[in-house]
Amino acid sequence: MSVREFNVIVAGVGGQGILFTTNVMARAALKLGLNFAQSEVHGLSQRYGSIRTELRIGSDVSSPLVLEGTLDLLIALEPLEGLRQAPYISERTTVVMNNHVIPPVGAYLERFPIPSFDEILELMRSLNPKQIMVLNAYDIAKRAGDYIVANTVMLGAAQATGVLPFPEGVLREALEEVSPSRYRDLNLRAFDLGRESVSPPR
Amino acid sequence: MGDLLAPANTLEVLLGNEAVARGALEAGLNVAAAYPGTPSTEIGEALAKVAKLVGIYFEWSANEKVATEVAMGAAWSGLKALTMMKHVGFNVASDAIFTLAYAGVTGAMVIVSADDPHAHSSQNEQDNRHYSESVGLPMLEPSNPQEAKDLTKEAFELSSKYKIPVMVRTTTRISHQRGPVRLGEITAGFSKGKFVPPEPDRYLQVGAIARKHHAELLGKLKEISLDVAPSYAKVEGASDAEFGVITSGVAYAHAKEALKLVNVNAKILKLGMTFPLPEKDIGEFLSSVNTVLIVEELDPYLEMRVKAIAKDYAPEVEVLGKLTGHMPRVGEYTMRTVLEGLSKALGVVLPVNFAEIDSRSSEILKKVPPRPPILCPACPHRSTGYALRRAAGRAAFMGDIGCYALLFQKPFRVEHVTHAMGSSIGLANGIDVATDQDVVALIGDSTFFHAGIPALINAVHNKRKMTVVIMDNRITAMTGHQPHPGTEVNAVGDEAPAIDIEKIVRSIGIDYVKVVDPYDHAATEKVIRDALKHDGVSVVITKRECALLTVARLRRQGQKIVPYRVNPDKCTYCRVCINTFACPAFVDTGSLVEIDPTVCFGCGACVPVCPYGAFEPQEGSLNWREQKIGV
Ligand code: SF4
Ligand code: SF4
Repeated sequence: MSVREFNVIVAGVGGQGILFTTNVMARAALKLGLNFAQSEVHGLSQRYGSIRTELRIGSDVSSPLVLEGTLDLLIALEPLEGLRQAPYISERTTVVMNNHVIPPVGAYLERFPIPSFDEILELMRSLNPKQIMVLNAYDIAKRAGDYIVANTVMLGAAQATGVLPFPEGVLREALEEVSPSRYRDLNLRAFDLGRESVSPPR
Repeated sequence: MGDLLAPANTLEVLLGNEAVARGALEAGLNVAAAYPGTPSTEIGEALAKVAKLVGIYFEWSANEKVATEVAMGAAWSGLKALTMMKHVGFNVASDAIFTLAYAGVTGAMVIVSADDPHAHSSQNEQDNRHYSESVGLPMLEPSNPQEAKDLTKEAFELSSKYKIPVMVRTTTRISHQRGPVRLGEITAGFSKGKFVPPEPDRYLQVGAIARKHHAELLGKLKEISLDVAPSYAKVEGASDAEFGVITSGVAYAHAKEALKLVNVNAKILKLGMTFPLPEKDIGEFLSSVNTVLIVEELDPYLEMRVKAIAKDYAPEVEVLGKLTGHMPRVGEYTMRTVLEGLSKALGVVLPVNFAEIDSRSSEILKKVPPRPPILCPACPHRSTGYALRRAAGRAAFMGDIGCYALLFQKPFRVEHVTHAMGSSIGLANGIDVATDQDVVALIGDSTFFHAGIPALINAVHNKRKMTVVIMDNRITAMTGHQPHPGTEVNAVGDEAPAIDIEKIVRSIGIDYVKVVDPYDHAATEKVIRDALKHDGVSVVITKRECALLTVARLRRQGQKIVPYRVNPDKCTYCRVCINTFACPAFVDTGSLVEIDPTVCFGCGACVPVCPYGAFEPQEGSLNWREQKIGV
């Protein structure tokens, strides 16, 4: 398999399992023998603030950071955080977005107006991404067994869009390998439900 | 986490920091010691995890100076030793390291400095390349995880060959970059060494002896610059190019791709050793081009030295970089930074229209509320902040390094200062001398052990009046939960004597000492009011474990985390909860406050905050305070 360049950003709020989601994709890339570079945030920056990881896959990749305007896939576990990636989004971007808004409590103190999900979606559309998939990842995760696997639901949905440079089986195997044993079955269920939620898989 | 013990010759996904750890294991590591600090922490975490399996010694030390001395002791006994720290940790260790350079080692020693351009989780953007030069220790700089592993291993080899500690410098995007790493054989394991100074005065750095050793050190460095540094200088690109780039570390990774994108005829000189520099190789590179752009994060370290070299080798060459305004001096580099630098230097048209992207996205970003880091839901520090605000609102608050530094934000504002490890108590000494204000020093448990104790002793001996609030959450939380001298286990999970903070405080003659559960807001508030009245040094220990530990433990025990809720019939929408407590689980609907069940940990700390009693448990919710969970 050869990929020249494929750029993913996973964005959300600290605590949503963003690192885990990205690690699964990195593991899939490794399994396929693809070159990749992933960059993530640690420390103070993950205390319920905005966080995002960047994953770049491809033979031409050496920088671990995505260049503005060249994003292929955005996985937004939280819609405001998805919108915050605006500089990276272009016609080549597929957006997979959770519809559950987590308003930053600091915004209330500053009286900063918080856009509704519909407003966020409209702003996202104005950036002209290739496609936007919206799902209620928390509901689907709860159906799988626990809302803490909403991140895996999102990953399944991302796989179903068909843009990821991995066959489904490889990503699923990678998920199995990266999951702690206690959460393995739960994660696999969440992944499958996430995949089914994007229809029809072309 | 990647599998640190995966077999040789396999490819494994490793974080840059894990790759450093693996490199040390392949080099034959025996002893490692460190104090956690982002972005260096995962090196120690990786070693702690495998220490018993591989049979090496690893400890989380009380601070970076002690960690360095532990490693030095091992390296002076003929073993291979490693210590690692974040850039500012080097400042703490530097007192020992400056003289260590003179003393050298008999075994091998590697010191990793993890710098943090953009100050992602640091108090400054210090550039530790200056340290290697002023201390006099060679420095290797990897540009991806594979090199992080390889160069760490080579650093050990250089160290044993030249009997000198070797530094490895990473930056955030190397430390926290994951990539494929081809593995080698692990040879690490612990064995006892023997402390025998190679000559009687080797480790006695006084006057005449130190001067002798200084001269020796300079001799070694000269040799390394001639014999070793050139092998780390790699030229890539078109040999006939008249435009060159000199770079190192992650900046190289950005530059390599950026040059491909603009498609100019260029060559790159990549430096894997940034001290001492391969003067001749740099000189030859400079003579082969007309213009050179220096691509490096933080200080113009290379730029100034390249300019000096150019004077001798190629006085005509144009050296561009930070000093000429082509590259920024603040913040971390990205491909965009480099592209913009190239466009300034060469006038090339960029493949991406940044102006358009900026104007399009800035309109959108104006509508996205900022989301700075904030204390976790259920964090005990939030409760301490709440009580402090009410009890000591007018005091001068000296903060320190830890999650609780976030209490500088609204609505708490009980951190006027965050400076360096242990500075809260030290500064409180000074503010008390200089003013008549009430002074409160806030410090965490790990930070207290690291550098708080001497300052507290100072306060007692010098008869200061101040209140010290020690926020004991039973762990080093901010860096990801490493144990410290106050915890019952050590780095590798063995039982360890826990040093009792309360006993230390009493033993130095402080008689006002109170321990309180911060979730008990009323009691905490009362104790703080009381402590402020005390004439002398008073200490309040607010003790409750980090909420993330509690949640992880409850989940392990199979407990469901059931959120609290707001009773809509009781909520008057007064917003007192938001304006005074600001838990991230609170949602303001415009007519009510609600709790976001995906964020709430179900601690119940909000219950006493609402004047109308609107916060309620749901079926299965726990009350952490009443059930004494995490105390
Ligand atoms: S990690 Fe622990 S101490 Fe730090 S903010 Fe979260 S709950 Fe509080
Ligand atoms: S403090 Fe109580 S009554 Fe006031 S807004 Fe909050 S939940 Fe509602």
